[in-house]
Amino acid sequence: MNMLPGPAQAAAIGLSAVLPLLLLCYARIAATGGSGRRYRLACASLMTLYAIACIALPGQRHLDDVIGGLFLLATAMMFFYILFSLLAWGFTLTLLTALDKAGRPLTLEQWAVAYMQGGDLGTFTHNRLKLLVGAGMLTIADGKLAPTTKGVAVARLVKFVRLSTGLG
Amino acid sequence: MSFVVGFLAAVTFALLSPALQLMARARGWTVAPVTLLAIAAIITHGLGVMLGVLVVAQFQYWDAASIFGFFVMGYVFAFGAVYKSVSLDILLGLVGRSERKAPLSDIVERQVPALFQGRIGSLVDSGLVEPVGSHFAATAAGRTMAGRVGQLRRAFGIGDTSLYDFSSD
Repeated sequence: MNMLPGPAQAAAIGLSAVLPLLLLCYARIAATGGSGRRYRLACASLMTLYAIACIALPGQRHLDDVIGGLFLLATAMMFFYILFSLLAWGFTLTLLTALDKAGRPLTLEQWAVAYMQGGDLGTFTHNRLKLLVGAGMLTIADGKLAPTTKGVAVARLVKFVRLSTGLG
Repeated sequence: MSFVVGFLAAVTFALLSPALQLMARARGWTVAPVTLLAIAAIITHGLGVMLGVLVVAQFQYWDAASIFGFFVMGYVFAFGAVYKSVSLDILLGLVGRSERKAPLSDIVERQVPALFQGRIGSLVDSGLVEPVGSHFAATAAGRTMAGRVGQLRRAFGIGDTSLYDFSSD
């Protein structure tokens, strides 16, 4: 068994460790925009650096080495995205931080207000609905919500994923 | 050939992982779903390496590990996306209705508060929050976790609302 990664794979492993550092750096540059945009920018930077490494590294490139490196990079991007999205858009985590920030016990209603920083759950609902409407999965007409064909297809896919991953 | 071994290990993971989730629910295990995913990944990765060493003459560990990692992480990504998504819960709730329509007020006043209470239940069950009469307070473990989350958010320049930012995203 050969435990040593190929040159491109070694570059991918190194670059994977660089991803959180890139995110830390981009957080200090206002022009990089919001959380989602910053993450995409960091991933694009990583892919560019990998392409440069594949060209610049000495010796002949082997296809299996380059493909293995791409798989490793994609793995790291997905892994860090899961953690990053929890920090950025995690509902349950934000409930906890809102309660902690209040510094005193809260009733359910007070907690909802603290979570929304003065707003209410209606604001939160509209924010989540805006995502579904923007993605073309929902329509709102006459104060009623209805899923589009795309929304129904996505819902079926979600049910399939839930079933096949054992979530029921 | 090492890629094939890694792929086979990933397929085994995709079979073992739901089996573990279903067993945990059926037998009332208190192990978190994410822990079960990690257990399935460790077992199938170990099995993959053993298979590679036995079957492939020149087994390339990183070729196998790269494709295994990619598919397992894709699986975990999909799992995480559907596990506790508020947006998808709203969509599923709508599609699940016979008329496939709902007044906006019903979502705002009934479904989202129910989701809110469900998440509070999860925080209480995991020992991060405790009920104090009609109020809720963060436990010591909850305060520690909230502090760490706050530090990470500040370091990565992430706001603390969890709302989607449509203007700059």
